[in-house]
Amino acid sequence: MSESQSAPAGSAAAARLESFSYDDAIVRKFLFATILWGFVGMLMGVIIAIQMAYPEWNLAPWLTFGRLRPLHTNAVIFAFAGNAIFTGVYYSTQRLLKARMYSDGLSTAHFWGWQLIIVAAAITLPLGYTQAKEYAELEWPIDIAIAVVWVIFGVNFVGTMIKRRERHLYVALWFYLASIITVAILHIFNNLSIPAGPFKSYSIYAGVQDAFMQWWYGHNAVAFFLTTPFLGLMYYFMPKAAEGPVFSYRLSILHFWTLVFMYIWAGPHHLHYTALPEWASTLGMVFSVMLWAPSWGGMINGLLTLRGGWHKVADDPILKFLVIALTGYGMSTFEGPMLSVKAVNSLSHYTDWTIAHVHSGALTWNGFLTFGMIYWLAPRLFQTELYSKKLMNTHFWIATIGVVLYIVSIYSAGVTQGLMWRAFDETGRLQYPDFVETVARLIPMYWVRVVGGTLYLTGVILFAYNILKTWAKRPVAYEVPVVQAPALAKHYIPEPMRPGIDVPATAWGRFVNLTFHRSWERAPVLFAVLTTVAVAVASLFEIIPTFLIKSNVPTIASVKPYTPLELAGRDIYIREGCFNCHSQMIRPLRFETERYGEYSKPGESVYEHPFLWGSRRIGPDLAREGGAKSNLWHLRHFTNPRDVNAKSIMPAYTHIITNDLDFDVIQKRVDAMAMLGVPYGDAVNRAPAMAREQAKAIAADLAATGGGNGFETKEVTALIAYMQRLGRDIQGSGTVAAKPNAAPAPSGGQP
Amino acid sequence: MSLTELMSGANLDGYAQVSLLLFLLAFVLVLWRVFSPRFKSTYDKAARMPLDDDTPQTPRTRGE
Repeated sequence: MSESQSAPAGSAAAARLESFSYDDAIVRKFLFATILWGFVGMLMGVIIAIQMAYPEWNLAPWLTFGRLRPLHTNAVIFAFAGNAIFTGVYYSTQRLLKARMYSDGLSTAHFWGWQLIIVAAAITLPLGYTQAKEYAELEWPIDIAIAVVWVIFGVNFVGTMIKRRERHLYVALWFYLASIITVAILHIFNNLSIPAGPFKSYSIYAGVQDAFMQWWYGHNAVAFFLTTPFLGLMYYFMPKAAEGPVFSYRLSILHFWTLVFMYIWAGPHHLHYTALPEWASTLGMVFSVMLWAPSWGGMINGLLTLRGGWHKVADDPILKFLVIALTGYGMSTFEGPMLSVKAVNSLSHYTDWTIAHVHSGALTWNGFLTFGMIYWLAPRLFQTELYSKKLMNTHFWIATIGVVLYIVSIYSAGVTQGLMWRAFDETGRLQYPDFVETVARLIPMYWVRVVGGTLYLTGVILFAYNILKTWAKRPVAYEVPVVQAPALAKHYIPEPMRPGIDVPATAWGRFVNLTFHRSWERAPVLFAVLTTVAVAVASLFEIIPTFLIKSNVPTIASVKPYTPLELAGRDIYIREGCFNCHSQMIRPLRFETERYGEYSKPGESVYEHPFLWGSRRIGPDLAREGGAKSNLWHLRHFTNPRDVNAKSIMPAYTHIITNDLDFDVIQKRVDAMAMLGVPYGDAVNRAPAMAREQAKAIAADLAATGGGNGFETKEVTALIAYMQRLGRDIQGSGTVAAKPNAAPAPSGGQP
Repeated sequence: MSLTELMSGANLDGYAQVSLLLFLLAFVLVLWRVFSPRFKSTYDKAARMPLDDDTPQTPRTRGE
């Protein structure tokens, strides 16, 4: 459209100019929350990093690694990155749409609601309330609160789009909207569960299906919480900081559509060589590899925005932060597809390589982008100069060195441990049969990580100091500039033909000119609905077959539900976060079956609500732990792991040994499981009595072998019962509490 | 469960190829839309949107 044509329109519209102002108070609130939670989340990270190098640092039950690790991940993802997203979204959305947020009330409710959720997480996770699903640990009441607050955010955002004064929706807004919609869908479907108490629930899915749902969620949490919203921020703040438009707007549109089309399918690459059907695993791998192309397209698009302005990067620490952020995005989106290739994954899975991958992405892409954005925003929001550019530069270098130390040491740790696990000697036996040897080798690298993490945290402290000092220089009252813009026409008015460019308006001409598309572009609500359909359909086609096609999960007749006491023990295992360090999924690879025993079958997990396959082996796999050690060994191991295994880095669990088991809640737990279709038979009526009987037998064995007396009422007895049950069913020796599974089943299961 | 039996027996394997074609078609349409020289000026204008916080780039529908 030419300027001359729009000039008269401008004068005609001038009579109907509307005056408004942008709400920057809410942006300032989110900015402070970002800094506060960034500090807390990264401090947690340093604490748990020390715990891995020095297990005595697990000081109290609520300060053990298993409980603090989810707090670290939730704090950095949902509190730090979450508030950073909201800071940038609230600032840029209003300006891109030339409209104040739809409702100041909703903005405030969003802000305080989100902070309350974070506080609830910070209290409940150390207390051991967890759903045992990574990045979805929070229990059901908090999940409901998250859904409500997220809907408030969504309504506020879409409402602003509807009352906008700019016709075209800038591409950043597409990324925001897709993120809002997809996160809502992911959160709701992954967290569906049956409550068994005020802060206890069981996932409605079991085993293979639960694993599939969880990693469909888990991968897309990375995609739609840590990637697409930050890409939206990048497409707004990069041009701002570089003072020029994005390199190619067309490439950014292609970037958007290819990402939202493909990301949603990539989840199964987290489950290579597990009991997940192989077709799903392959599908996830193919889509993950394809994702490389759009991701690099986006990275190059961001970096080339600096074309002609590279000399500015040397002087401007904000640009330095953004350049490292984009480079980190490029590195981790190259590495992600590589790790999703099954052959590579067989080495990297369960090792620190995954942790290194996550941190190379999160510390640079999410961290540096947030720092760059806030350094750019602070002088504008506080209407003064930044306190110290020199300090900002120091922050950049300290953080960069911290990142390098962190990822180099943890990559080495991952590859070292992966290679040690699969090493055979010349006689064909495992070269490192004792698992703890492969852990002890990593301790020096863990200390390097502590140093790297501490440097990064120091950078955050400098950052907080610099921003607070800037805030202290703010004017007595903020200026609130009034902006004027005409309201948008109510209906779409077709554009006049451009002679020589547009094809005459025959039916074919309307198609080629994309006249229909021009009117679609005015319909953000339709866009939102269609995006939802696209995401939902893709998810359904990938996930539903594991629910509906029998051959995907062959049942095994000898697999029975846990006894009430074992279930209570499993709940303790979940409460303590044991799944953060121990997998329960043996892959069908020789070095795995040699070490742990028969590989895990899909039919073994059919009563696992939720699945506890794990994603990292800081300790050994436990899928075949049942019967491998005596009850007494377990008792001594929980008292102090280093009594039986000098190099172990597991925390001591003395509180499990002294705590009394709550037999009264067991009935409620069994009933919830029965509601989910687990055939509990008799146990539905007399679970506590059955639990007491089994506890008495285990306590008697402990007393007879010299462990001491009085364990029949202690938590440790339930946990031992659970440990001794793991993996026993397919050996035909598991203790059985319920009537046999009625479903017809092949014997022994299938690969 | 009858739905399970129905789905198990429906032999849906070939649908992967159908979806491949649909995805490819969608991709080609997006490519065509985005890189058609006809729309270059529109996109160039849209690309400048973040640079001006106060003035709409495309305030009203053209032709008014």
